[in-house]
Amino acid sequence: MKKKKIEIFPIVNGLIFIIVSLIIIVPMWKVIVDSFDLKSAYGMKLWPEQIGLAGYTSVFRNPTLYHPLIISFVTTIAGTFLALTLSTFGAYVLIQWEMPGRNFFANMLLFTMIFQGGMIPTYLVLKSLHLTNTIWVVILFPALNVYNLVLMRNFFEGIPVSLFESATLDGCSPMQTFIRIVLPMSKAALASIGLMFAVTYWNDYTHYKLYITDSNLYNFQMKLRSIIMGSDLPQANNGATENTVKNAAIIVVIIPFMIAYPFLQKYFVKGVNIGAVKE
Amino acid sequence: MKNNKNQSAVSNNGSRSRLAAKIYKYRGFYLMFLPVFIFAVIFFYLPMLGIRFAFTDYNGIKEATFVGLKHFQKMFSMPNFWSAFTNTLVISVVKLFLTTAAAVVVSIFLNEIINIHFKKVVQTIIYLPHFMSWVVTASVFSLIMAPTAQGLVNTFLVNTGVLTSDSMIYFLGDSKWWRFTYYLINIWKETGWQTVIFMATLAGINTELYEAAAIDGAGRWGKMRYITFPALQNTILTVIILNLAKVMNLFESAFVLQNDAVLDVSNVLETYIYYQTFNSGAIPNYGYTTAVGLFKSLVGCVLVLICNNLSKKIREGRGIV
Repeated sequence: MKKKKIEIFPIVNGLIFIIVSLIIIVPMWKVIVDSFDLKSAYGMKLWPEQIGLAGYTSVFRNPTLYHPLIISFVTTIAGTFLALTLSTFGAYVLIQWEMPGRNFFANMLLFTMIFQGGMIPTYLVLKSLHLTNTIWVVILFPALNVYNLVLMRNFFEGIPVSLFESATLDGCSPMQTFIRIVLPMSKAALASIGLMFAVTYWNDYTHYKLYITDSNLYNFQMKLRSIIMGSDLPQANNGATENTVKNAAIIVVIIPFMIAYPFLQKYFVKGVNIGAVKE
Repeated sequence: MKNNKNQSAVSNNGSRSRLAAKIYKYRGFYLMFLPVFIFAVIFFYLPMLGIRFAFTDYNGIKEATFVGLKHFQKMFSMPNFWSAFTNTLVISVVKLFLTTAAAVVVSIFLNEIINIHFKKVVQTIIYLPHFMSWVVTASVFSLIMAPTAQGLVNTFLVNTGVLTSDSMIYFLGDSKWWRFTYYLINIWKETGWQTVIFMATLAGINTELYEAAAIDGAGRWGKMRYITFPALQNTILTVIILNLAKVMNLFESAFVLQNDAVLDVSNVLETYIYYQTFNSGAIPNYGYTTAVGLFKSLVGCVLVLICNNLSKKIREGRGIV
């Protein structure tokens, strides 16, 4: 009796996880199906009744779509690069234990995790610096992330001190040591933390909503939001319905990531574990 | 020359010159920290100075006028403020416990899968929603939970006889259902990713423990109950503490899923501040919303410090900040 139970468990467990996976997939699958379906009654159908690309052609014929897409790409690339620069510079300085003022700098960064000025004072500061309604605010603001900087520092701490010492003896300046020793030894951390930043920039909605009112500077998330809320629905043509167009727009936003995700997943997991290893 | 002069001075000056020499030695590092410093000042410290507006009337045009604690008195007498405050706490805390509990259960069972390829596929799938933006998530769920014949969930419930076609549920537009739906969406989105940290802990369990338990006659459930789950306890506490520190910051997920019809159950402090400032229709009084923000930051600060202390207690001295 007991033996039989042990044989059954893996099968039941496997079935449970097939169901769990389906629960995750079905909402996304439904969006894909509906984006290709030209019949308006979707309901429970999990396969398009009348397959057609009209949803996508409606989305792509819309001339106001390309601009947000370009904004999304530009801010993601520039932002990730800047954010990695700040994180690695900061982390590198924070492992200089002998440096006068090192603790002050560390506390200065950590204090921002305890107390913040809040939404409105931040808005007023950015406004008075003429950063609102510019592309700069959405690139610069998310670039300093203390949590990621600390993750980077944890990783740098694993680099053998002797490497730094011999580089200094060879006459390397801090910057040279950084470029020749620290960066090449931190490829894994750079990949994981860089990807986390890239996702943050690509998915950013809050900073746009708060600091940008000029629709010429909207990224794709803002664009998608206004499409879904119906205030900026592209004209549906070739038999596409409103819903087909909305579903197609969602797919257009997530497709770049969906394609890259299976290859990048391990780096994301590593990123979490840089922090977790130190438990 | 300069050094000689300093050395002949009092010993205090001597240590000062050594400090100066040390600072000089590290000059390259100071230069590297400069951009980080500037960013921290602009985006974190200048806004902290803006807190003074909490004690003024300020609309961005006229000079701020000092009004003392007026805004705090107004705030504490506003039912909307209190409902936003309790909503923030209830929604964040319930969400945290539900997703953590779900992640623990999923991790324990995921750990039992023997076929490594199947496990990888499952992990890849359940991590995916974490990387979708809240805008995309809200878009997907507003479509599939729509109270129409086009909404997947309502059609399913009608077809299985749970509902009739004229009693469809407006999950995201009905105060009775909004929170339930919100928790469900959060579980869908974040459970998988939360298992990453639990799986890392489980990977560190010494397999000898399981062997010893097997010799002692423990079955599968016994091992899960007496080895796997206890191994996770510290990680569970850590995850809860880390996230408790952030409960006041709830904004985007609530913001994109709410609408006017459900504000009574979904308005949190950050969204309350947003609407009061940018959507009130009148000229904004930055003073009032800064005061609400200050209250929010102070509560958040206390929570972080409490969680930091708790963390130090259970994680052998490691704080969270």
